[in-house]
Amino acid sequence: MGNWERTGLRTITSLNFFSFPSLSSAGPISLLACGGAHVIALTSAGKVLTWGRGTSGQLGHGEIVNCTLNPKPLTSLESYFITYVSAGWSHSGFVSDTGCLFTCGDGLFGQLGHGDYRSLCSPVKVSFFVNQHVAQIACGMRHSLVLLKDCTLNQVYGFGSGKRGQLGISKDRIKSISLPEVTNGLEGVEIVGINANGDHSAALTVDGHLYTWGRGYNGLSDAHLPQRLGSSMCFTQATLGWNHGLALTGDGKVFMLGGNKHGVLSDPEKLSPAKQLPDSKESILDKVPGLDGIKVEHIAAGAEHSALVTENGEIKTWGWGEHGQLGLGDTCDQTCPVTVSLGYILNGAATVRVYCGSGFTFATVTPCILC
Amino acid sequence: MSYDDVEIEDMEWNEELQSYTYPCPCGDLFQITKEDLKLGEEIARCPSCSLYITVIYNIEDFLEQKSKKNLEPPKQQPVSVA
Ligand SMILES: [Zn+2]
Repeated sequence: MGNWERTGLRTITSLNFFSFPSLSSAGPISLLACGGAHVIALTSAGKVLTWGRGTSGQLGHGEIVNCTLNPKPLTSLESYFITYVSAGWSHSGFVSDTGCLFTCGDGLFGQLGHGDYRSLCSPVKVSFFVNQHVAQIACGMRHSLVLLKDCTLNQVYGFGSGKRGQLGISKDRIKSISLPEVTNGLEGVEIVGINANGDHSAALTVDGHLYTWGRGYNGLSDAHLPQRLGSSMCFTQATLGWNHGLALTGDGKVFMLGGNKHGVLSDPEKLSPAKQLPDSKESILDKVPGLDGIKVEHIAAGAEHSALVTENGEIKTWGWGEHGQLGLGDTCDQTCPVTVSLGYILNGAATVRVYCGSGFTFATVTPCILC
Repeated sequence: MSYDDVEIEDMEWNEELQSYTYPCPCGDLFQITKEDLKLGEEIARCPSCSLYITVIYNIEDFLEQKSKKNLEPPKQQPVSVA
């Protein structure tokens, strides 16, 4: 597996291959959730490993630790087959195949959903959903979203900080809630995916429509209820940063929401909000430049950087590069996607995936015999 | 350019750092001490990167605290001192 991230005093700026014995013995990775400074790896066998910062208990190993450098199996969830994980700024969520939701880490804003504002250093089952089947959790900076499985009514719930409208539960300004409440404005649509990062939230419908709520992009006002992007395009994946979002269409094109902040697309022309219609309340989707003729298969957004994988397994990154999170061998910002050198030739028989944390990036390369 | 404007009530008091903090996109924390706030400083910096935020607060809330020794963040509506 490849990885480039900041560790201690050393800034790693290019793709490095780390040998994590505990990871390779755990089997193929099906999902990596990257948070503020911690990582949750989910294996195809339903096992979970965590590493990184643990100052709020977000690693779930039953203790507060400064930092765990090596992936450590989460033994407390060993009796469950985990199917989905998410990492927020300093909290974590885990979903089992039986639809149980577990959370741990920072609970100061109610983002763990247990009805209080306590932090937890081991995953605890969220009893609110005990009679329901949870499919996904999405952890943002200080909030969480939950998607229920096969549910036509009340599919999405939010809890934690709601100051910027990121819970989507009410038109009124809500400071924070510690028990899940239904996200409004999604009635009559079937949601298949949810996302949260920073103070942003998003949901993708089965028809490929994208809804966003929370903090406004490019200085626009906050959306306290989900709003469908006025686009006829059909999206298959969405991912959020702290000031931008990316959406991938079924035919492999990438569009971006927002992105006027540091480095995301630090094109000086983009920094001026003049391009925005003065009375426009709607977020505008821009096509990501430099991708003509390239079919994109997978996208990821960090706080202020972005990454994608093309159909040929090529990784491209752009945005804020100060910490080497673009993997391009330097600390420069990029306004357009730039190809990352993998350091070896992919023989095609592998699945490449890229995952972004706040200021770091991971790539997984899974040989197809294991896919 | 300031990365963001953040109200003091959205910052967290960190006992260990003796500072008000807010998440920085690099993974570290923007930090500002009470002493800085009392001096009217409105820039909170991240020790790990070049980014900084503008803290929106009411300086009187911190000048009063000198006598009260109150560690709680101010409850009043924050006002920019810019
Ligand atoms: Zn920083």
